[in-house]
Amino acid sequence: MTINTLSQDGVQRQQMPCLTKMERMIISMQDPDMGIKLRNQRLLITVIPHKCSISDEEALHVGQLFVKYGYIYPLKEPRNLILKADDSSYRFQTPYYWMSTRWPASELDYAIYLAKKNIRKQGELIEYEKECYNALHKRINHTWDFVVMQAREQLRASKQRRKGDRIVLECQEQAYWLVNRPPVSPEHYKLTTLTKNTIAITYCAVKYNQIFFLSCLFFLARNRVKSSICLESYVKYCEQYQPHDPIMQGCLPSNPWITDDIMFWNMNSETVALPTKLRVERWSFSFMELLNDQMGRKEFLTYLEKEFSAENLCFWQACEDVRHGETAKIPEKVDEVYKQFLAPGASRWVNIDSKTMEKTLEGLKRPHRFVLDDAQMHIYFLMKKDSYPRYLKSELYKNLLARAIVPQETKKSVFPFMRRQRHSSPSPALATQTAEDDGKAKYSNSNSGTASRL
Amino acid sequence: KPECCCLSASTGNMDGEEFTMLDALNKVTACYRHLVIALGSTSDSQNLREELKKTRNKAQELAVANRTKLTALLKDKNISKDDRAEYERLWVLFTSSVELLEVDMKRSLEIGQDFPLKVPTRHLIQTGMTGSTTTVAARAMSVQNMKYEADANIDTVDLKELETEIAQVDQMMEEMEMKVQVAPWAVEAKQEAGAELKSTVSVGNSSVGVISICEEEPKETVEGETGLMKVFAGIIFTGVLLIAGILGYLVVNL
Repeated sequence: MTINTLSQDGVQRQQMPCLTKMERMIISMQDPDMGIKLRNQRLLITVIPHKCSISDEEALHVGQLFVKYGYIYPLKEPRNLILKADDSSYRFQTPYYWMSTRWPASELDYAIYLAKKNIRKQGELIEYEKECYNALHKRINHTWDFVVMQAREQLRASKQRRKGDRIVLECQEQAYWLVNRPPVSPEHYKLTTLTKNTIAITYCAVKYNQIFFLSCLFFLARNRVKSSICLESYVKYCEQYQPHDPIMQGCLPSNPWITDDIMFWNMNSETVALPTKLRVERWSFSFMELLNDQMGRKEFLTYLEKEFSAENLCFWQACEDVRHGETAKIPEKVDEVYKQFLAPGASRWVNIDSKTMEKTLEGLKRPHRFVLDDAQMHIYFLMKKDSYPRYLKSELYKNLLARAIVPQETKKSVFPFMRRQRHSSPSPALATQTAEDDGKAKYSNSNSGTASRL
Repeated sequence: KPECCCLSASTGNMDGEEFTMLDALNKVTACYRHLVIALGSTSDSQNLREELKKTRNKAQELAVANRTKLTALLKDKNISKDDRAEYERLWVLFTSSVELLEVDMKRSLEIGQDFPLKVPTRHLIQTGMTGSTTTVAARAMSVQNMKYEADANIDTVDLKELETEIAQVDQMMEEMEMKVQVAPWAVEAKQEAGAELKSTVSVGNSSVGVISICEEEPKETVEGETGLMKVFAGIIFTGVLLIAGILGYLVVNL
């Protein structure tokens, strides 16, 4: 049997699983044989049964939850929703008033409850209840007539019951609303929360201003380059790299994207015996170019070995590994690096100045990804200033440059229809102009192969 | 202008039979809620289930009757503005009542399913309520004594009926929303905050006699406020006129 428990916005709500568990426990506690022992409560002349108390042996914590969520309510101090391990009495709450996410306590019900209380107490409501009452009167003003009518009728209906039952009903409803609309003492709220809030806000504001100020200083102090100088260097860069650009210059032997011939990639792979000339020339542009190319790195290493300063490059490589490697392996990697390169008397000790060495050794106590950055930077600049220019002037480099190959342009077949066309997927927009496109393709094909200077 | 409200604690503008019908629906809804609260507790019994069923049916009858009456009234195009406002107020009362009834019906289905009566060991919650709810049901049905004639397995049979009835009420509410265009938030309640204190209904007092009270509706302050606004607007208007006149005179002469 399913019923649509649709709330007003059409969302199907489920009961929270923790509440369902508590419900089941409460129900099983009612078992006459296995459940809780219940006694009678005596109130002057009325006797109300079914009060229980929790002892130390029972799960105090579970009991606390029961009281907090309103499955049990205390009889002596109803506003104090805690479970005491002494002889204080509690009573079970009726299933209608159990906490439920499917049937949340509505404002209308609360208004009716407050109106009823108002009638019973002849206007003597507690402070926070008065505030809630006034707030509700404003909020749901359009149904206020209904609230008043319903409050009166509900009171009249409850008057039909016995005195004991009436007391129980009042206690039940009060407990329900104490759980669902817990009282907030206004002074307490104002004092603690507000002052705490203001202090927190002012502190945050001060901190934020500090940070903002410092970052402004930092940005002002940044190195600035005049755009004329910057553009000059940009032009120089473009001029330098133009012969190496496959799109501007065309690539030898042939552009694989056009002719489907992958010789270009094969010749420029990392493990080729002889590199292409363009590649070797590129190594002379900047140190970074040399290091980024695997073959270049190997060549440089052989050179450094001859010079007996290979440990610099090895150290640099190890630092790169730490920076870009797995986080879990960082501590052991850093340890390795220390043992191999930084420890006094290490096998491949690198020459770092004392200040950087001190700082690095300090940082090694708490290794993180960037702990070797300073040392790496130092060694990098050392290599760049010292070893790198010497390498470019060395015999090794010059020999390699002389031996480097210049690939031949692939021969174009004489007959046009023998040439392999490019295998690009047809653009749907040009579906109607396929004939023209073919002609254009042939024209550009012949252009790409020749190294025409622009 | 003072308004005298008399009768056994029903207040508001007397509108004849519409109001008595609404009043009856309100009474039955309150009693139904009272009965649903007792579900699943120690005062639950076969009798209670039957009382619930009877009260529920009565409430539905009243709801249908109210709905037909009020829809007819609201659809009439020839009513005055005041009348229309009044009927809208009654409509809001009616819809709130039916919504409350619907929620209670759904909850009673849920609790009824969780606490079956025809099982070897009943696990009803020991809430401390031991009395019966016959008097409440009698009040709802407007009879002296309740007669119990249902079968022994009413708790399971009734639940199925309850499901269909809930679906019916849902449908009715949807239709109501479609057919009658009343903006509930635009309705102004007649009762002020604390209006319930005006009648001497208290817990200790068990007699529900005829009480007549005259209560003054504080309309003066509201009227005073609107009067102030009018005067203010008039002042501003004359001020603007004056300025315009002066400017015109200057333009002409200079």
